[in-house]
Amino acid sequence: MRLHYRLQHPLALDVDLELDGFTVLYGQSGSGKTSLLKAVAGLLPALGTPWAAWPAQRRPIGYLPQGCALFPHLRVWQNVAFALDGTRARRRARALQLLDNLDLAALAERWPGEISGGQQQRVALARALAREPQLLLLDEPTSALDQITREEVMGDLIDGIRRSGVPALATSHDLHLASIADSIALLHGGRVIQQGSPAQVIHRPVSAAAARLLGMHNILEATVLANPHGQAELDCQGWRLHAAAALPAGSRTGVAIPAEAVRLADSGPGQPMIVTRLREEGFFTRTWLRGEHLPSLEALLPRTSAATVGQPCWPTVAMAHVHLFALDANPAPA
Amino acid sequence: MSGLVPSAMRQPAGWIVLAGALALAVLMLPFAGLLFATPWLQLHLQAGDGAAIAVSVGYTLVALLIVVVFGTPLAWWLARHAFRGKLLVDALVLLPLLAPPLTMGLMLSMVFGPYGWAGEPLRRLGLELTNTPAAFVLAQVYGAAPYFVVTARAAFEGVPQELEHMALTLGRGPWAVFRRVTLPLSALGLASGLALAWVRAMGEFGIVLIVAYFPQGIPVKLWTNLQDSGLDATYPLLWLFFVVALPLPLALGLASRRQPVY
Repeated sequence: MRLHYRLQHPLALDVDLELDGFTVLYGQSGSGKTSLLKAVAGLLPALGTPWAAWPAQRRPIGYLPQGCALFPHLRVWQNVAFALDGTRARRRARALQLLDNLDLAALAERWPGEISGGQQQRVALARALAREPQLLLLDEPTSALDQITREEVMGDLIDGIRRSGVPALATSHDLHLASIADSIALLHGGRVIQQGSPAQVIHRPVSAAAARLLGMHNILEATVLANPHGQAELDCQGWRLHAAAALPAGSRTGVAIPAEAVRLADSGPGQPMIVTRLREEGFFTRTWLRGEHLPSLEALLPRTSAATVGQPCWPTVAMAHVHLFALDANPAPA
Repeated sequence: MSGLVPSAMRQPAGWIVLAGALALAVLMLPFAGLLFATPWLQLHLQAGDGAAIAVSVGYTLVALLIVVVFGTPLAWWLARHAFRGKLLVDALVLLPLLAPPLTMGLMLSMVFGPYGWAGEPLRRLGLELTNTPAAFVLAQVYGAAPYFVVTARAAFEGVPQELEHMALTLGRGPWAVFRRVTLPLSALGLASGLALAWVRAMGEFGIVLIVAYFPQGIPVKLWTNLQDSGLDATYPLLWLFFVVALPLPLALGLASRRQPVY
């Protein structure tokens, strides 16, 4: 299913997406993800296809906003039955069936305030599925969940969605959720700058903006020095690197390296870099490096291999973690 | 389990109980005075007291119906829509509330009186708005409507708009959303508004005195009883006033509090 929506308020967006199974619209806070979902649901004025000309109540959409928005005055089964028509007995039977499909039948008589955040989310899913929608919209589904239960709850939710067979569009700035989706679309500057499978997008950002959005802290420019056997030797502002790409010698390319991929060696060719700052982050130490006539780098090192401030070192990166992208006005890397 | 409940939630502090009891005692003083002053053994109604009760109860119900039918959309509009000049509309709703009842009565008689710019054409159409049942209801509507509108508006504003949006995306039209989501979730506040409007309309004296001295409702009849026969003549009707005026607000309060805890 293809979705193309344009809106002006509260911010300008022109989003063109291919929806394939469970798609995550990945972008920073404030980038307009929620506005896009509201526009598709018919809650904000917008132009686009499909359904933009229809009022919200006629759109074949199941919408799960942040915080679920279960009706507090209705029991769980009554929430699920809200969209259903017919006699009370038939509506109740159908609601119980929907709840049972998501292993929630035992909660049918509870009030929304009496169940956990994860259960509320699945009840909201059951309620959205009751309308037999053609598309599910999930706004930041992980935002209300704590770190410990998030993976389990999201796993259950995504399983439920996949079982239902309804395509889903979820907004998120959670890379973990994006990595388990069928497709990721990166939203930046009001439009989708890249879309593909998690493997394609997370490991092959197409621009500096996409790389930054995916949490890569080291965004550099490089010149290809040589390219023997499809293995490019790069000069990154004085720092030598190798990348698995067939690029003509002399061409320029963008380079993105995740902080986790940088390792420090005690010796190496060329000038060393100096550790300028350290910050403890759980099992890791974030390490900032600088060198004379060399780029600044950020590395996330296991605490056991942490360096000390002022220590000289030679940063290295495995070829698989050197992601190349086309610089503007330069040919794209192969 | 009581050990798990913070002590402040289990038992109010002594000074709060004392202050609360004192406030209640002060509020009850006039009624205690009335209880003792009433000559319980020589109570007898004055001529027309029964009719006054019928007038007050019957026409107040009509006034309340009008207030709810027209006040609810206004309150909802003010709660849910932002527009240029909204502050002015807010002020207009509050004006009848601010105006002393007597002056409100004078203004109404200027407009709806026999020579008023609205009263005269309406009279020619057969709707007399001075000293008639319609005038009585008109006075009560003006007295009570602002209380209902202000309270109902706050009640509607208390309903998260996200829930109304949610109901729309579940395929329900605006009217169904109002009936199935907005109304139940604002019921407590709407009931308070209704109770306030009822109490205000039942007790309306200043506006009614000017616009509809006849037919006499309980407040005006109390006034004429006092004028004609003295204080003792007011006691039976006053007690009956409490008897007929209190059940509706009490019932509304009980009904709205019987909702599930969420």
